[in-house]
Amino acid sequence: MSDGTDYTFVCPVCDESMLVNDSMRDALLDNGCVICSASLTTDAFSSA
Amino acid sequence: MYEPMSLDQQTELSPDEVHAVLTRHETGVLSLAKADEPYAIPISYGYNPETDCFYLRLVSTPESEKRQFLTSSPSARLVVHEADGDSYRSIIADGTLERVSPDDLTVERIVQYGDAKRPLFEIWGETKRNLDIQLFELTPDTLSGREVELDPETHDT
Repeated sequence: MSDGTDYTFVCPVCDESMLVNDSMRDALLDNGCVICSASLTTDAFSSA
Repeated sequence: MYEPMSLDQQTELSPDEVHAVLTRHETGVLSLAKADEPYAIPISYGYNPETDCFYLRLVSTPESEKRQFLTSSPSARLVVHEADGDSYRSIIADGTLERVSPDDLTVERIVQYGDAKRPLFEIWGETKRNLDIQLFELTPDTLSGREVELDPETHDT
């Protein structure tokens, strides 16, 4: 099970960018962008 | 004729009651200070009752007044209050506001910030890309609450 950074997250609204793992990706999808609270889809994530 | 407000029943809230008030609200007033200059703003917060930690998202522009007060680890007070019929409750949290870097984000923090939906970004003239949005945590050094139950016979209803 990967515990590293698996995805590059770029918020489509505030442009915040960060590397995230599976768990953080799921949390962002459920809770929105942690910086600006924008709702997110999987389009905001790409393989790192 | 003036009649002073009755304060017949004023009690300290228990930790569980404090947690209950904080959990059913999402906004409060954050107060900061610089020398003898005060600064207070309404904010939205996420709250973890297990750790008593508050999660705040603060928005500013380069010209904003807020920037002056967000120095490294400023002392802060957060007040949350509610009115319920003749009962008034207030919670006061005093502590240090710590900046959270995006590099220090965890799943727990992402979930907690999910609860801090406001402030409404629509009130800003700028788009979110042009706003400086910073994440903060407040772990109180002191956290207390008080309830005042007014005697309905001694004030106008």
